[in-house]
Amino acid sequence: MNIQDNRGSMRRASPTRQSDSLPLPTQIAPGRPFSAKYWTSASLDKTMSETLVKLRYRYWPDHIVGEILSKRWTETAIPVAVLIAVIWFLAQAIPGYFSGGQIIETLREGGEIGLIVLGLSLVIMVGGIDLSVGSMFAICNFVALLLIQLLDLPMGLVIVGTMAVGALLGGFNGVLIGYLKLRAFLTTLITLIIFRAIYDILILRYSTDIAAELPHSAVWDFIGAGDAFGLPFAAILLGFLAVGGHFFLSRLRHGWHVMAIGGSRRAAHNAGIAVRRTVALTYVASGVLTAMSASLFASRLGTLGGDVGQGLEVTVLTAAILGGISLGGGKGSVTKALVGTFVVLLVTNGLTALSAPGGLTKMVLAGTLLVAATFDIRWNRNRQRFINSVYVSPTYLALPPSPACGPDTGTVWQLNDKLRDVEVIGLGQVEGPEDIILDSKDNLYCGSRFGDIMRFRAPDYKEVEVFAHIGGTPLGMAFDKDENLYVCVAGMGLYRVTPSREVQKVTDETNRRWNSIVDDSRLRLADDLDIAPDGRVFFSEASIRYEMSSHMLDVLEARGNGRIVCWDPATNKTKTMLSGLHFPNGISIAPDGQSLFFALTTGCSVMRYWFDGPRKGQVAPVLENLPGYPDNINLASDGNYWLALVGLRSPTLDLANRMPGFRKRMTRRLPVDEWMFPQINNGCVLKFTPEGEILETLWDEHKLNHPMITSMREHKGSLFLGGLVNNRIGRYTLPKEQADPGFVQYQHRWGTKA
Amino acid sequence: MNILARTRDRLLGRGDHAITVPVFDGALKPNQHLQTAEVVIDDLVDPNDLATDDIGLLLASGSTVVRIAANGAQSEVLRATGRVTALATIEGGLAVAIDGREVRVFGGRHDGFRVCDVAGKPLHCVNALAVRGDVLLLCDGSRNRAPDEWRHDLMELGRSGRVCEIDLSKGLAREIATGLGYAFGVFANDDEVWISESWRHRVRMSGEVGRKVLSELPGYPSRMAPAMGGGAWLTVFACRTQLVEFVLREPAYRKRMIATIEPDLWISPQIASDLHLQEPLQHARVKTLGMIKPWAPPRSYGLVIRLGVDGSPQYSLHSRVDGNHHGVVACAQLGDWLYVLSKGARRLLRLPIPQIEQELGR
Repeated sequence: MNIQDNRGSMRRASPTRQSDSLPLPTQIAPGRPFSAKYWTSASLDKTMSETLVKLRYRYWPDHIVGEILSKRWTETAIPVAVLIAVIWFLAQAIPGYFSGGQIIETLREGGEIGLIVLGLSLVIMVGGIDLSVGSMFAICNFVALLLIQLLDLPMGLVIVGTMAVGALLGGFNGVLIGYLKLRAFLTTLITLIIFRAIYDILILRYSTDIAAELPHSAVWDFIGAGDAFGLPFAAILLGFLAVGGHFFLSRLRHGWHVMAIGGSRRAAHNAGIAVRRTVALTYVASGVLTAMSASLFASRLGTLGGDVGQGLEVTVLTAAILGGISLGGGKGSVTKALVGTFVVLLVTNGLTALSAPGGLTKMVLAGTLLVAATFDIRWNRNRQRFINSVYVSPTYLALPPSPACGPDTGTVWQLNDKLRDVEVIGLGQVEGPEDIILDSKDNLYCGSRFGDIMRFRAPDYKEVEVFAHIGGTPLGMAFDKDENLYVCVAGMGLYRVTPSREVQKVTDETNRRWNSIVDDSRLRLADDLDIAPDGRVFFSEASIRYEMSSHMLDVLEARGNGRIVCWDPATNKTKTMLSGLHFPNGISIAPDGQSLFFALTTGCSVMRYWFDGPRKGQVAPVLENLPGYPDNINLASDGNYWLALVGLRSPTLDLANRMPGFRKRMTRRLPVDEWMFPQINNGCVLKFTPEGEILETLWDEHKLNHPMITSMREHKGSLFLGGLVNNRIGRYTLPKEQADPGFVQYQHRWGTKA
Repeated sequence: MNILARTRDRLLGRGDHAITVPVFDGALKPNQHLQTAEVVIDDLVDPNDLATDDIGLLLASGSTVVRIAANGAQSEVLRATGRVTALATIEGGLAVAIDGREVRVFGGRHDGFRVCDVAGKPLHCVNALAVRGDVLLLCDGSRNRAPDEWRHDLMELGRSGRVCEIDLSKGLAREIATGLGYAFGVFANDDEVWISESWRHRVRMSGEVGRKVLSELPGYPSRMAPAMGGGAWLTVFACRTQLVEFVLREPAYRKRMIATIEPDLWISPQIASDLHLQEPLQHARVKTLGMIKPWAPPRSYGLVIRLGVDGSPQYSLHSRVDGNHHGVVACAQLGDWLYVLSKGARRLLRLPIPQIEQELGR
């Protein structure tokens, strides 16, 4: 590439673009994903297979898989998928299985079993287990029939009495397990036997007497076999309890207590939760729900056979585990319990309909329980690891060959040593001054990785103080007309510090895009900002997928994950203007006051976006195919703009960017420390005209003071330099003929303050 | 190994496809002795190898062999017709490898001896010589790549190196080890012959199935020199990184990298780093708060290991990632002094051995 070519490609101004492959400038609706085709890679030699790779990564959205999996609802989605598969299979295998009557019967039965599953789920969520539900069910069934048939009590008393017995039985478990701290498994195994023995004794004595009488209550018949609105009473009851249970678990304090105890008993205790009482009460609840179920069963069948409730615990346990109620406790939901219930019910009934032998049904149930329990354990242990490995999804990015940089290129990119003798400010006193800014009284401000805004006092900048503590990682900064210091804070959003050092949140959320899977309403990585003449703040957000601590992953993905956001003080509304950008970074309002320049760090280019005026909504490239990664942009005293190149492109990374699979494997197999990274130990500062011509570059050839420069600010004949991982600020004295010695950015932008 | 197991390993990154790298531990515990060593000569021109004779130290530099006086003064001893890629002294004369393609003897009893092929195959990459009595041992690093193209050989998974034995009095030449993953260093330890097999990170003995002397090194071993009191000094000219190991298992990427990028900018071990602005960077090497961490993945590294008589490592001398005395390809012990050639820094260094052994508690 010769010199002329090089300069030519840099000078290509927006309205007179030569490239035929790119229909730019582009009209873009605010917030719309921005086409990644804003630089030309036409000059690259691409093989057929590379073209396929490119298409595959453009049209197959890998990143969505990880985003979906990291949602909590995917845990419910798996049992739901199983349920759908079971329904589909049974519909194919058994003609007429899903006829109206059959559905009603399934719902009726589901109502009965579902109540017990709800109770058991509650117990499992608190970290226990209840194996005695089958025996409790039998006793409660007996009690209900005893009360209604033999004693002929009124309906209300029968129900209350049965539930009281259920509560008593559950309470027995609860006291043993909650207060006396016996093991849940062993205790309920024992009560299973005890309750069953009691039941056996009772039916021996009373079954003939009870069977001799018949109930005389229409209500009693209704709860067992009646329908309302075309639905069986049992199903309606379950529906109500399910809604109530969901509300309880997700919205009420005691529901949260249950989850907290299941998650960590010790932590819940330390947090002041009444662990013993809550645990005991869940067993009571299990008993009561079982009693309700038994009442329904009693009114439907009125049977006192020896096998009532036998083996019920296995069915119910399978339903809960299959639904995704984690055996470890602390996880689960009502939806999961219900889904599990219907899967189990459909499978057992389906097998019966297929006239499978009873033994087989039990085998299937037991097998399902085994598989579900195994899956439960494996999934809970490895979920986060699995999500981590699929979340990172590098994509295809082809940049044209980089212009040469070096000692003897003869171009504007020729290495020089202008930054060698910069004055060093605050050595060891600052850590991570990503951006720096000066006020109208010459004081110097910078951010730090501790979440502070530091202020160095003019004129010698020896004295440093914490101007304000915000938290997060303060990045780009700008003064508004009233000398409020607006700061983009990674992890927090857009903040401002008033001249009286008060920290105020400006905005931390924007509109959510309808089709985004990750929650993109939150500002995760606000990066740099500038303020339009009317006070609107335009700021960049580098990524909607990663936080500051993992921003290297976004760089490695090389996907357009970033956006430009606008906050309007007139309405106090925040709105996304452009999205789908490759790590948007520096922002600076252009001379016309109707547009802004923004840097795309991984896109290696600088763009211009018109937010007002006749070209409103258009985007056009200013600098394309830079040899490095552009960072902050700031005004120069001669009307041009300074741009920091935080690092240089290396051909190996450029090549890797065209091989997404390679990068994906790299992230999986290598520790972060070993990953390929943009060469940010070598960078420079350059000056460009609004038309897109690069005038000069400033380097630190021997990399002593400023290996990495993320920002620079011109002030009264000096250029101040900041770097994200530096422990110092640099001050470069500009040659007299190149800089206005009286230039103060604040006055240039907002005029002299009255 | 069956194909199923291989496929499984490849998919899961296990077995041969694991990219773990041994750590600097035990005798390899890092120090900065090489970095703080006295610099005898700075700015050497194309230095390649060191040798010693009765008088002192000899250095192969470009196409010349120079004698190094104790004060660092250089005097030319020999000028060859091409680059001197390996050097040894034999029976009062000098054995010299020229351009990797021929070995000649100047002076002494075997003056005028010349060899260009062994076992019917021409020499291509002679990069190390050693002498045992009348027998000359030579390393022919690769059949495909010249000495300067060692990075190509690594990235092409070169396994074509060999070591040959030439009996000068009888005029007999034979191969004593073939199919080596880059032979770069040979040493006669009594009647054993030790060979540095760089790409397999080990020192092995001669023979078709050479017994291992030292294996699973964290770096790529190169030339060896006799140590006083028995054993040898082993130079390690670069160290392994997981990224390089990973790239070695990525054929498509390697192929395109070799085809389109200059070797100096490759993801590959180097003898020096920070020479080019557009070199690749690994995450841990980002200069943070004004410093490069010495434990960052080494693009280049300086390492010399003292091997005992049985080949076990005794202790080691380092120049770590934040230093520059990297790419150590040769060393030689003269009395109490160890002379070390850092090809990466183009410097000749010198360390007082008794003092260092004392500091290391030896």
